[in-house]
Amino acid sequence: MSLKIIESCVNCFACEPLCPSKAIYEAKPHFLIDAKKCTECVGDFDVPQCASICPIEGAILDALNVPLNPAGSLTGIPPEKMAEAMAELQAH
Amino acid sequence: MELPVLNEKPTQGGCAASSCGSSDDQLNHLSDEIRAKVQNHPCYSEDAHHYFARMHVAVAPACNIQCHYCNRKYDCANESRPGVVSELLTPNQAVKKTMAVAANIPQMTVLGIAGPGDPLANPERTFETFRRLSEEAPDIKLCVSTNGLALPDAVEELSKHNIDHVTITINCVDPKIGAKIYPWIFWKNKRIKGEKAAKILIEQQQKGLEMLVAKGILVKVNSVMIPGVNDKHLAEVSKIVKAKGAFLHNVMPLIAEAEHGTFYGVMGQRGPTALELQELQDDCSGDMNMMRHCRQCRADAVGMLGEDRGDEFTLDKIEDMEIDYQAAMEKRKVIHQAIEVEMNSKRAAKVEVKAEKLGTRPALMAVATSGQGVINVHFGHAKEFLIYEASPEGVRFISHRKVDQYCEGDTSCGDGESVLQRTIRTLEGCEAVLCSKIGYEPWEMLETAGIMPNGEHAMEEIEAAVMLVYNEMAKSGKLDEVKQRATA
Ligand code: SF4
Ligand code: SF4
Ligand code: SF4
Repeated sequence: MSLKIIESCVNCFACEPLCPSKAIYEAKPHFLIDAKKCTECVGDFDVPQCASICPIEGAILDALNVPLNPAGSLTGIPPEKMAEAMAELQAH
Repeated sequence: MELPVLNEKPTQGGCAASSCGSSDDQLNHLSDEIRAKVQNHPCYSEDAHHYFARMHVAVAPACNIQCHYCNRKYDCANESRPGVVSELLTPNQAVKKTMAVAANIPQMTVLGIAGPGDPLANPERTFETFRRLSEEAPDIKLCVSTNGLALPDAVEELSKHNIDHVTITINCVDPKIGAKIYPWIFWKNKRIKGEKAAKILIEQQQKGLEMLVAKGILVKVNSVMIPGVNDKHLAEVSKIVKAKGAFLHNVMPLIAEAEHGTFYGVMGQRGPTALELQELQDDCSGDMNMMRHCRQCRADAVGMLGEDRGDEFTLDKIEDMEIDYQAAMEKRKVIHQAIEVEMNSKRAAKVEVKAEKLGTRPALMAVATSGQGVINVHFGHAKEFLIYEASPEGVRFISHRKVDQYCEGDTSCGDGESVLQRTIRTLEGCEAVLCSKIGYEPWEMLETAGIMPNGEHAMEEIEAAVMLVYNEMAKSGKLDEVKQRATA
């Protein structure tokens, strides 16, 4: 069982020092989780630390590729609102 | 965010006038000790920032909260322009860069860490930078900005270094309002949302403020004015933070654009109008020293008064620089002393030009200067203008306006707009522009735009020259009619 960081990561370093298993490391183009080391924080914390501080929705996925912080869950922007705004900007 | 700053309204009749000494109106309220600290400070003293400069280094990428006006893909929106990404430095690189700049630009006296995230959410990187600079470059003052969440735990460490001042962004003291500004915080190994989160953040901010004041560290408070959210509430915030000992309160207008991808931008939350800002400032006046001079420099800007010499100090260039800081420090000391002498003699020798006619309306004027308190920049070379308001009561500084602001690919710029057109657009609302020299083409364009060009006061002291021009305008009868007053 392990989490993974995908390309939407903005390399903010917030998760790295929190990991109790030292599973997170700086890499190019973005931070990564060593699947062999990640324990999903079980035994150390109630919630996975990386996913609890990460500010980017969708940047951290579980083993089934489900984002721990789905669209709208952190910013409070309803996904359809975001899509609308982006479409509008595209149109200009 | 590079934000316009509220201008200070005179609390008593003539005190906004230049005759009081340009910064006295805001410094009078302060204790002698604080005043001494602020007097020659490039961020707080109007005349000092014509002579001294500050810089920022981006060493702190992480943040421990989310603000609705911030998109974490970019720098902390509290301190830099929306949509800017600074080059992240390691503490070692930051120390090297700071010393390289200090050795080459002796006017650089203050080093700030302001992001790109929250400095105190990156304690190791931030404190290592501070620790080393305090040891290796003891003549540089340090400053830091924070959202306040981790502040109480950092006060002890901060007090060990050359910390000149700390800026806390405080947008509310009421968790109900806070819940509309901060969607979450990371606290004790959990993400916390809603009012509970806001309550913890507010408590930490207030506690941090009290602890810093108790340690004798200067504290400035920034607030972002968000219409319909905290606008009615900020006067109370102002009162509380002042009572606790903050020496300045700086209210910045929210800037929210959909393309920044922030909650407020996408949800259509608007920023305040100039008038709303003015009204809030009136509400706060008398109980807080509002700040006018801080230009919310870009988080990694380098140089004097709006100039950015960052290109001279990129990582590869500083790698190759050999810096003998001991020698540089000697040189800096001599230069700083000379500046102080010059500043003091200028303060003493200030000639006061009085308004000749009463009852005329105020007028805004733009000034092209690179510092020293005089008009010394060619119109075509100005990257920034200082805006002054002249009225029968005197001359007061209103704000800085940058040419080019928000103009990188922004739609409002229009395609193919020339630098000159852009410059003139920057001067909207001004009735005259004072510069050392001006070419024929811009002269005509300015006149067409209703802005009177003036190159007659080159090398003259700004406020005196502005008043002379105002007097001429008043004499010609131009200022008799009541014109809708332009706000800066
Ligand atoms: S879930 Fe926990 S153990 Fe796994 S990477 Fe994240 S912080 Fe580390
Ligand atoms: S907290 Fe999220 S965005 Fe930041 S480095 Fe970790 S995975 Fe990337
Ligand atoms: S504190 Fe700064 S970096 Fe953190 S969310 Fe707020 S504006 Fe962004």
